[in-house]
Amino acid sequence: MATPSTQAASGVPALSAERAVTWPKRVKSRLANGLEIILVESHTIPRFHGQLYFRSGNAAVSHRSAGLAEMTATMVRTGTRNRASRQIEEDLRRLGADLSSSAGQDTSAISFAGLSEFSEPLLALVNELARDASFPESEFERERRQKLEEVKLERTQPGFLAGERLRKVLFGEHPYAKISPSEAQVSAYKISDLEIVYRESYTPENSLLLLVGDFDPSTMLVTIEKIFGNWSGKKPAIPVAASPANPRGRRVYLVHVPGAVQAQILCGCHSITRRHPDWVKLGLTNSLYGGAFNSRLVMNIREAKGYTYSPRSGVNALQQHGYFSVSAAVRNEVVAASLTEIFYEIDKLRSLPVPDAELADAKNYVSGVFSMGLATQDGLLSQVGTVALNDLPDDYLETYRDKVRALTPADLQATAQKYLDSANIQIVVVGDRSKIETQAVLFGELEIYDARGSRL
Amino acid sequence: MKGPQIAIESKILSNGLRIVVAPDSTAPVVTVGVYYKIGFRLEPQGRSGFAHLFEHMMFQGSANAPKMEHIKLINSSGGVLNGSTMYDVTNYYEAVPSNALERVLWLEADRMRALKVDDENLNNQRDVVKEEVRVNVLNQPYGGFPWLDMPPIAFRNWANAHNFYGDFADLDAASLADVQAFFKTYYLPNNAVLLILGDVKPSEGFALAEKHFGNIPRGAEPPFADPKEPLQNEERRGQVEEKFGTLPAMAIGYVMPPRRSAEWCAMALLDQALHGGRAGRIYRDLVLEKQIAVEADGGVDDIFGYNGPSQMTTRVLHKPEISADATLSAFDAVIAEVQEKGISLDELEQLKIKWRSDYYAMLEGGRGGYMPKYGLMHLVACFSLFDGEPRLVNTILDGFLQVTPEQVHAVAKKYLSQQNRAIVFRAPVAKKEAA
Repeated sequence: MATPSTQAASGVPALSAERAVTWPKRVKSRLANGLEIILVESHTIPRFHGQLYFRSGNAAVSHRSAGLAEMTATMVRTGTRNRASRQIEEDLRRLGADLSSSAGQDTSAISFAGLSEFSEPLLALVNELARDASFPESEFERERRQKLEEVKLERTQPGFLAGERLRKVLFGEHPYAKISPSEAQVSAYKISDLEIVYRESYTPENSLLLLVGDFDPSTMLVTIEKIFGNWSGKKPAIPVAASPANPRGRRVYLVHVPGAVQAQILCGCHSITRRHPDWVKLGLTNSLYGGAFNSRLVMNIREAKGYTYSPRSGVNALQQHGYFSVSAAVRNEVVAASLTEIFYEIDKLRSLPVPDAELADAKNYVSGVFSMGLATQDGLLSQVGTVALNDLPDDYLETYRDKVRALTPADLQATAQKYLDSANIQIVVVGDRSKIETQAVLFGELEIYDARGSRL
Repeated sequence: MKGPQIAIESKILSNGLRIVVAPDSTAPVVTVGVYYKIGFRLEPQGRSGFAHLFEHMMFQGSANAPKMEHIKLINSSGGVLNGSTMYDVTNYYEAVPSNALERVLWLEADRMRALKVDDENLNNQRDVVKEEVRVNVLNQPYGGFPWLDMPPIAFRNWANAHNFYGDFADLDAASLADVQAFFKTYYLPNNAVLLILGDVKPSEGFALAEKHFGNIPRGAEPPFADPKEPLQNEERRGQVEEKFGTLPAMAIGYVMPPRRSAEWCAMALLDQALHGGRAGRIYRDLVLEKQIAVEADGGVDDIFGYNGPSQMTTRVLHKPEISADATLSAFDAVIAEVQEKGISLDELEQLKIKWRSDYYAMLEGGRGGYMPKYGLMHLVACFSLFDGEPRLVNTILDGFLQVTPEQVHAVAKKYLSQQNRAIVFRAPVAKKEAA
């Protein structure tokens, strides 16, 4: 049963008895070459979704250059020993498939989805990309130029500039500090660098193949064995990065964008990873603070005050270190007023217990949304993938809701005190300094940068 | 090739509200949508952006659910909700654990029956909407490009040509009286469809719908302005300044054939030939081969979801060292080739397989893993409101799969003409150095 909720307005129908939430079976296997496999049946439509994950991303190769795993992933789809770029794209279309290859900080991935009737040829193509990418010179020159324009363009996006500055502030010398390469770094990329990343990271021992969709798992396992069975390669050695220093005291970082007609606020502090025992507690605390439409922050600065359209808080779960963040794009005149409310709501959660009714509402929200993923193939893929990539316990999906529902006001207050670290939250504001500087400086010692990252 | 058939049951209440139930017990989740047949195209003149501002007001309070109650009741039932304003429809939708179905229907019925909002709510949401416009358009590189830039250049009828997000002066002029008048005119059971999709039995869905919506009074049939465009017989061009971005951009839009015609189906597949990802001819030619453009994408936006003049639009960001003229010439060469040679049977077969696959994917999701059946809801709603035929969702695919190479060739010649298109150039303004 759902937790009893706030007394609602008169006439509101009660919730009826809840239907059991049953997560589908995860069929797990491992090939002799080390490739880990998870298969999940979902017969909602005659399609399937898949991810071939490699358990290393940009952070693992950051000692060579920034964004190198991403550039490698970009190149992977541009040619193999058997198929030129154009052939790959037409073959995908012929299979009714979509495919992308990308890399984040912690993983690289080939993501794909297509018609079940063509699952075997699509997996064969994925296998080819993972093993036989040929890194053609002409494709590389083009993709590098594309990347160069992309890194110039992202410096014109307030959201990017805010995220880039906050990550630098929070992670210092750690690879997580760098969310995108510089123009100079992109210009210096070499095919040989990418080939090293490819050879080391794209190996069966470093991989997880996750498929969700309309297929029979035992037949699918045979197909996978046939296609991926003779692949070989060891797990890469990944250099261990020293833990980043946790910044003490509030400071304000203003990124100056002349002519900006709005200010992008992004605040954050260190928190935890998904593997941490407090993860579920922090998830619920975040939801109540600013992670849901009816959260305190949204009610305050959007619905009561009209400062912003899309305020949100979140817990960003990178695999080595997590961080908590709050964002809001606000009109220039209310930067100080918005920051005041952002901290007011944090401090309130730290100092006063959450009323029982409000806590019950937040629990229902978090557990309801968690099981929404059951209804679609990509929802299942995302939930099962999160569990697998973070090495969470096998029963994580089944026990999550019970863990949420067991939490008390005291748990939330303790969690807020621990992780919504008010006194040490770092503040980034992206906007026109002539409109916002006098407001920003009220919240801590101020550093001002331009969009290229130079101190002004 | 027989695709999955969706179970669809439909009835119309005595007040004119159509109810559509699509049962599927895969997961204990139900998606509910209410679609009203009014979008930003036909909002009142002098009130640009009003349909969207009004959509925000629908979350500000109804007779028995004061401000925030609606959002709170959905979230605290374990569900998510939103609304969106489109050309010809506005939707309000929720995905919730199925034990909250009756609560959702009660809430949707309450705000269909009576909106209870005041000036404070209106001022608050006016502020919120302005920040929405700033974050999505005014403070973003290429914000609103080309969906807001193209209409005033391409169209002559105000309905199709105005600023759909709203000029700030028009947003400022909107009054509470406008809100109530718009509500009384368009937010009627006989101008709406209710969708219940997922974990529900049809008999139960119909009974609950009748219980909560059955006594909402029918209204006078709403007046709809004619969105028809005068015949276009010249290419139209316009310029827009890019304030933040670093690359010159252009968008080229061709007016589409009439909805649900054989030409419309052929044009949809031609659109895929041109814009279907990295295999599409425009991306392949401009980005991969000639390497003129950095980005080239586009197509027909929401092909099933509009009911008036619409375009197939290409969006190109090109390298600064290549002129706009040279870029447009390269684009024109792609168009000329398909006009001269058409497309091969083999290419068309590839496109049909991809189209079919995309269609199934849309039915299941359409808005990510946490909004199940959004696409199914959207299609069934539009087929109900525009065609009176919710079951078209099971047959509409057939028309696309029957298209021949000759038909694609014919629409390429007929519709990809200069006098059927408009072009927006969006060039970066000269940069001042940072202070």
